[in-house]
Amino acid sequence: MFGYYFDLAWRSLKRTPILTGLMVLAIGLGIGASMTMLTVLHVMDADPLPGRSAHLFRPYLDPVPLRGNWGLGPDPSINLTWPDAMALLHARKGRYQAAMAGTSLVVTPAQDGVRPFTADGRTTTRDFFAMFGLQFIEGAAWSAAQDDDAAAVVVVARSFAQRLFGTAQVVGQVVSMGGHEFRVIGVVEDWAPRPMFYVDASAKRYAGADAFFMPLSTGVSLNLGTNGNQSGWADYNNLRSPTVTWLQFWVELDTPAAVADYRRFLHDYAASQKAAGRFQRPASTARLYGLMGWLGVQHIVPGDVSMQAGLALVFFGVCLLNVVALLLAKYLRRSGEVSVRRALGARRRNIFVQFSIESALIGLLGGAVGLAVAELGLWSVRQRPDDYAHLARMDLPMLATALVASVIASVVAGVLPAWRAASMTPAMQLKSQ
Amino acid sequence: MRIHLQVRPILAALRSHRTAVALLVLEIALTMAVLGNLVFIVYGTIQRSHVPTGVVESDIGLIQSIGVIGESNPGTVAGNLATLRSAPGVADSAYGGLPLWWSNRKSLFLDPSLQHPAAQAYEFQGSQHLSTTLGMHVVRGRNFSDGDLPDVMDVFMKKTTAPLPALLTQALAQRLYPGGGALGRILYDGRYAFRVIGIVDHLRGEITGRADDDEALLVEYRVGAQDMGGGYLVRSRPGQLPQALKAAAAALQKANPGHVENKVLTMAELRENYFRSDLAAGRMLVAIMLILLVVTALGVSGLASFWVQQRRRQIGMRRALGATRRDILLYFQAENFLIVSGGVLLGVAFAYGLNLFLMHRFELAHLPVHYLVAGAIALWLLGQLAVLGPALRAAAVPPVVATRSV
Repeated sequence: MFGYYFDLAWRSLKRTPILTGLMVLAIGLGIGASMTMLTVLHVMDADPLPGRSAHLFRPYLDPVPLRGNWGLGPDPSINLTWPDAMALLHARKGRYQAAMAGTSLVVTPAQDGVRPFTADGRTTTRDFFAMFGLQFIEGAAWSAAQDDDAAAVVVVARSFAQRLFGTAQVVGQVVSMGGHEFRVIGVVEDWAPRPMFYVDASAKRYAGADAFFMPLSTGVSLNLGTNGNQSGWADYNNLRSPTVTWLQFWVELDTPAAVADYRRFLHDYAASQKAAGRFQRPASTARLYGLMGWLGVQHIVPGDVSMQAGLALVFFGVCLLNVVALLLAKYLRRSGEVSVRRALGARRRNIFVQFSIESALIGLLGGAVGLAVAELGLWSVRQRPDDYAHLARMDLPMLATALVASVIASVVAGVLPAWRAASMTPAMQLKSQ
Repeated sequence: MRIHLQVRPILAALRSHRTAVALLVLEIALTMAVLGNLVFIVYGTIQRSHVPTGVVESDIGLIQSIGVIGESNPGTVAGNLATLRSAPGVADSAYGGLPLWWSNRKSLFLDPSLQHPAAQAYEFQGSQHLSTTLGMHVVRGRNFSDGDLPDVMDVFMKKTTAPLPALLTQALAQRLYPGGGALGRILYDGRYAFRVIGIVDHLRGEITGRADDDEALLVEYRVGAQDMGGGYLVRSRPGQLPQALKAAAAALQKANPGHVENKVLTMAELRENYFRSDLAAGRMLVAIMLILLVVTALGVSGLASFWVQQRRRQIGMRRALGATRRDILLYFQAENFLIVSGGVLLGVAFAYGLNLFLMHRFELAHLPVHYLVAGAIALWLLGQLAVLGPALRAAAVPPVVATRSV
């Protein structure tokens, strides 16, 4: 039965190549434009650490006084102060936990002929590597003692080692950064999750990568500063001040019980700070965000991208309306054929199924055109200067989505025309012939 | 036969195609809603990319230079500025902030208790000569003189308590002191106090399209023997910027081999970078818009073809009864005009609805009515063009068709 309907549909489409072409083109353009923008949204919303992200959490505390002057800058409470980050770190309530901040340093290569350049890296604490799953090629992370002693050590990424020394075997070498000398104790594979979920809001989440990692205490005692937001309401330039926020903090919690425990701990900590007079806001402002939840509240998808995605969907809607109108014209025109089939014993349901299969076939063809259009659209997105642009590529799930969406959309578009065709009264049509 | 006589038979005929007509009207309405808002957004972006910042953009270049601590750096800021100024083609130079590149946005207060912010303004800070390098145009009061500049270290370390002399833009002065008399007044940003010594015409920190882009404040301090990295600004003699900037960057690198010159950009390049993303998005929107128009035209044309084919016998009959080819052509054109008009009427409502949503979500401005008028005219023309082919085919139907069966 299906094969027969499919054959009928194919013959019918071949009979009206122009009308069929118009419908396939309309579906194709609509699917293509929508899939282009949905793919962009898909890569921006992607899970940066599949398999790991469900266990990573971002504590949020609000030490900001009730009255203050923040201008239009970011909310200072999105980062943590040094005392709060250290309290969470030393409580060791999670399996792993790390405080961190981005930093930009001028690197002076020892080799002649290589000019000084600036590199972005991270000052953090030792659990960073184990928690986020960075792979060491050589050496290891610094020790807890080195964390405490502000040791002048550095872990570098493979490409950074290559750039500086021409080889990745650099453990034991000395690098001059920001006017200080650091001993290389480890080399990790290049690592840049997309989006970079753990960075400050000012960083390029889709283009940046960390070239080096060094102990947070080292960064603070050498006053290397941060390249992210540093907001304060008193004692602005002191990184250890309880009134300056600049640190990010992540914790790994492996069981629901551990998550519940941590929530309670965080609440109690905020309550104790409020009781001590340091926090002015209630302890209920303290929160624990999951990784994807944190990216959600950070609004990392820019407004113009979501606007374009919305417009593309409206555009798809217009294309579908178009297809409904054209299908209506096409199916109602075949009143003679329908009447003969009905008179020979076909039921309404059979007619409806036959036409729906024809709609689905149009959808399949439209989906193929749509994929070509989407590839073209994504190519044009990749030409944009935005940091996410280079990621705009179609993956297999999106490809399958495009085809399935196209078929479903055209079957839905065909419901009304097919129903109208199926409910024609055969006698009237046959008589008029 | 005149068109208005045809309207009633057309409406009667359309009534028997209610579903198809409704679909077409809906499609045209949605097209109109998207079209009006997209043109508005894209045109706004293009307009915005031409708003001047208030500095002499054609003659200003930026050298972003970062000092390497510990390197043998003979350079000082004052020395660097002198080096830049002696490069061929350079008229002036300064260290500091530049529109579209770097300025702080701060709340400003009229009284030191810092209770109620009076404005949000872009704060430009820099060395002596910043205002002349930028080419500020003082309209009231006076520009900085060497005598009143505080020392940079006193400013950074907050050793000085005297208000820093500052220039305001007219827009900011108007916002802070609507009654006038800004000169000589003291204001605060929570960290420093400022004394207004002059008013400049324009200085925009960013070009976002908001009215307060032009609310800015400019402060100079005196630099000397410090070694500071950051933005070195160069103003060339008129029309000599490319050569002058290149010469200045080379001179600075020679005097300061330990500095890393991350960026050497003209103001024109800075502006291009600033708007590149918006303009790329604009091109994408234009593409979506054009495809949308094509799809709508194809839909109109496809349905009209179907109707013409369906009514071949009626057309033949009308022709046999004395209607001219022109009458048949006009009939289909009038029919199309009626359908598009229905779509346009509904489209006005849709366009305003979409506009309200965009205003709410993306801070878009209110859609001016002439965009809708232009959209309506565009759709009427598009409809007439789309129907022309099928209508001509209809007009070519010979009267003899009426006498044939099927």
